[in-house]
Amino acid sequence: MSMRPIKLNVIDLPKADYTGGPSSLCPGCGHDQISNVIIQAAWENGIVPERIAKMSGIGCSSKTPAYFLGKSHGFNTVHGRMPSVTTGANMVNKDLAFLGVSGDGDTASIGIGQFIHAIRRNLNMVYIIENNGVYGLTKGQYSATVEKGSKKKKGATNENPPIDLCKMAINLGCGFVARSFSGSKKQLTALLKAALSHKGMAVIDVISPCVTFANNDESYRSYNYVKGNEEELHTVDYIPHFTPIEEVEVPEGQFEDISLFDGSTLRLETLGDDHDPSNAVAALAAIHEAEQNDKHVTGLMYYDSEMKTADEELGLTDTPLVDLTEEELRPSKQALEELNQSFRA
Amino acid sequence: MANTVNDFTVNIATANGTGSQSANLILLHSMFEMGVPVSGKNLFPSNISGLPTWFIIRASDEGYQAPGDVTHIQVVMNKDTWLADVEKAEPGTIIIHNMDVKLPVERDDCIVLGMPMTKMARSINPKLARMIANMYYVGALAETLGIDESAIASAVAQQFNGKEKAIELNLQAISEGREYARENWNCDIGYTVEARDKDPNTFLIEGNEAAALGCIFGGINMLSWYPITPSSSLAESIIDWLPKLREADDGGATCAVIQAEDELAAAGMVIGAGWAGGRGMTCTSGPGISLMSEFIGLAYFAEVPGVIWDVNRVGPSTGLPTRTQQSDLTLLYEASHGDTQHIVLIPGSVDECFEFGWRAFDVAEQYQTLVFGFSDLDLGMNRWVTAGFEYPDEKLDRGKVIRTQEQLDAIENFGRYRDVDGDGIPYRTLPGSGLEPILYRGTGHDEDGIYSEDPDVYAATVARLKRKIEGARDKLPAPVVREEKDKQVGIIYYGSVENTIAEIDDILETTTGMKVSTCRVRALPYHSEVERFIAEHDQVVVLEINRDGQLFGILRKELPVELLSKLHSVAFSDGIPPRARVYAEMILETLSGDTKEVIA
Repeated sequence: MSMRPIKLNVIDLPKADYTGGPSSLCPGCGHDQISNVIIQAAWENGIVPERIAKMSGIGCSSKTPAYFLGKSHGFNTVHGRMPSVTTGANMVNKDLAFLGVSGDGDTASIGIGQFIHAIRRNLNMVYIIENNGVYGLTKGQYSATVEKGSKKKKGATNENPPIDLCKMAINLGCGFVARSFSGSKKQLTALLKAALSHKGMAVIDVISPCVTFANNDESYRSYNYVKGNEEELHTVDYIPHFTPIEEVEVPEGQFEDISLFDGSTLRLETLGDDHDPSNAVAALAAIHEAEQNDKHVTGLMYYDSEMKTADEELGLTDTPLVDLTEEELRPSKQALEELNQSFRA
Repeated sequence: MANTVNDFTVNIATANGTGSQSANLILLHSMFEMGVPVSGKNLFPSNISGLPTWFIIRASDEGYQAPGDVTHIQVVMNKDTWLADVEKAEPGTIIIHNMDVKLPVERDDCIVLGMPMTKMARSINPKLARMIANMYYVGALAETLGIDESAIASAVAQQFNGKEKAIELNLQAISEGREYARENWNCDIGYTVEARDKDPNTFLIEGNEAAALGCIFGGINMLSWYPITPSSSLAESIIDWLPKLREADDGGATCAVIQAEDELAAAGMVIGAGWAGGRGMTCTSGPGISLMSEFIGLAYFAEVPGVIWDVNRVGPSTGLPTRTQQSDLTLLYEASHGDTQHIVLIPGSVDECFEFGWRAFDVAEQYQTLVFGFSDLDLGMNRWVTAGFEYPDEKLDRGKVIRTQEQLDAIENFGRYRDVDGDGIPYRTLPGSGLEPILYRGTGHDEDGIYSEDPDVYAATVARLKRKIEGARDKLPAPVVREEKDKQVGIIYYGSVENTIAEIDDILETTTGMKVSTCRVRALPYHSEVERFIAEHDQVVVLEINRDGQLFGILRKELPVELLSKLHSVAFSDGIPPRARVYAEMILETLSGDTKEVIA
């Protein structure tokens, strides 16, 4: 019997090294598709699994770190507070790759303050919002991101205006802001890979239908609605740093290459109107226009690679603080004696 | 006039933001310089400029540090509190006032001494007159109390560290104040200071700064904080001292400092740092602890080390933000929903603020849990004597952390939450190590960290947690016990009551002949020595600065039932640092019911 050779990534690991436990979410949940993209992206990017830290808050989305990257440590924290726990961990170990998974309730309501401040500090992490517009674990209440006029399976139509997390992130100066759809595997994979190659806060707001409470056609976040109303800003293609870019086929139409921190490239191929991701005003305009027409705009909205990250801003020593020795952490006996003397003088 | 030496209390009423704090500290330090045992307490309703402030200086050869029951010398500078300050003075009080405020001091029964302080200040510097006016009462007190010129000069130099102009100007004002008093007053006011042999090793420092230095010597590498009185100066002291004491060879910082968006985030950052293997710490006060409570439960259940200092102020709610109290003890010990129990270290001196500052990190990592440092405004924001801080007598204890595959292999049947050693403390691996990675969670989990709602698993987990913290009892700082031969009455107390206990003890003995043993609790869960102390005394009073008797409540819950009948609570708080006589009288009243023969 011949065995099929196991496919290995650039660091010679099989995809199995990036998978997690079985999902306990509802069958067909958009979140499970996102988990699969995370596995795929991390594997294809050749990230050492143990160098990733998986972070989450509370909610359906926040359960998913159990379903991917089983060789990575993770922390399923408390509701809405994943950013602060990530901040503390990032400060003491700046060399880890932080991958945060949150939901719309977790981020846009209870955790909106921490989301804002993590962006403001430019925390070096990937922040994925698995955004379905409802609270699934408590049986389908609307969340703050649901569109005005959208209606879930049971109950009244939502009449409150939504909080658009991409708009908010752009306004706060986040250096990497993207929106995607759990059903757009290719786009989401490319965007996530690019986010993993970025230094600084990378926010990806992923529309992810809740199959149980809001997958009816009147819901603006149902699978069918998003499929029929998605407006891609561009076609995205990710070229990893270990693939010579000269060997990649050049697209026929117009395109723009974005060079990422680790040497990888995100190639944006123009579709219809040209979108300049370095223009925050254009990005906001695109979102506002889509919103007026009840559409979902997806792609890389905004990109700026120039900002210092939170750990850089603090001027930390080169060694991750967790690896400092006792001598580096505790001043000497002589230092204390001098200190006592200085107070006595 | 009869003269009292080194035994009096001065109360100085000023307005915040007028430079009076400098004047008051010069007085305090000059007496300290002379070797006079002295303590100073700042009573301030807020940090807002213009609001009233009272500074209480007590000189006491007995070493008493409480504010004292009577004010002997009242300085009145603040027009807003003037009438009340004058009215409150007991007959016979020396009242020193600024004549330029032009408010009456109608007290024939007091010795009233006026000085045109603002006018004199204006003549030497019109712009700074309002601030310099304070130096005239320094001069007046220096002259009447007999404070050495050299001591004043040294205190001024210390206060205006290196600023020659300021030193000159203020010394001139003090000297003019002295001269005015000498020429216009009868300076024989009946109270003087006399130099004593000063231990050259001693100095004065605030508890918050001492704790901050302790943290730095404890290897803190992540400080997250949100400003709140009275804990802000703890964080700010760490920030001030870090570059001087903890810079790495490459010039980089070895401790990350983040001013958080709120206390919830500050707590989250501490937990994140501890989870990643660092030494994270935050400091706050009661309102912050309330906000942090959810996270505190996560750290307890997921077993993540971290340190939180609570510098207690008056609650409930916003309460009296600039006043002192010991009212967060129960909150700390049982913080968060569900069954929890936390380790609390309770310093009673600036030396212990330093020691527990570093020790808290060791304890947190040993037990993989949050450890609280419990201080209060009185200890944290007032200056107390130390003979110098002692270097940690042991190396950093990083607890049961598995860092290599070899270490992991040596453990049979490893599981993140498996009690391998029988002490309730499991082993942990760190993110980034690749060793036995798990998803930490606040939900139910089994010994391997896998999600579980199994009844047996849950019951076993919380029983182990109980056992783990229980095991800390006799390894935490033991109580400081002073026992009389006759073990009739014992007083149990903690924290800043240390500054009042000697005086309470003396009042009890001089007024009733009662000799009491004392036991100062320094940690929760309380040491078995505390139980022994209670068992061996006939009557035991638990003395604390709160309304409900919080330590009393904890003892009543945990002690064997047969000891409970001898336990009495004496608890009182009005926001002012405890006056010895108030507490002594409450103790006598409490004991009078069933200990008449003891105090007869």
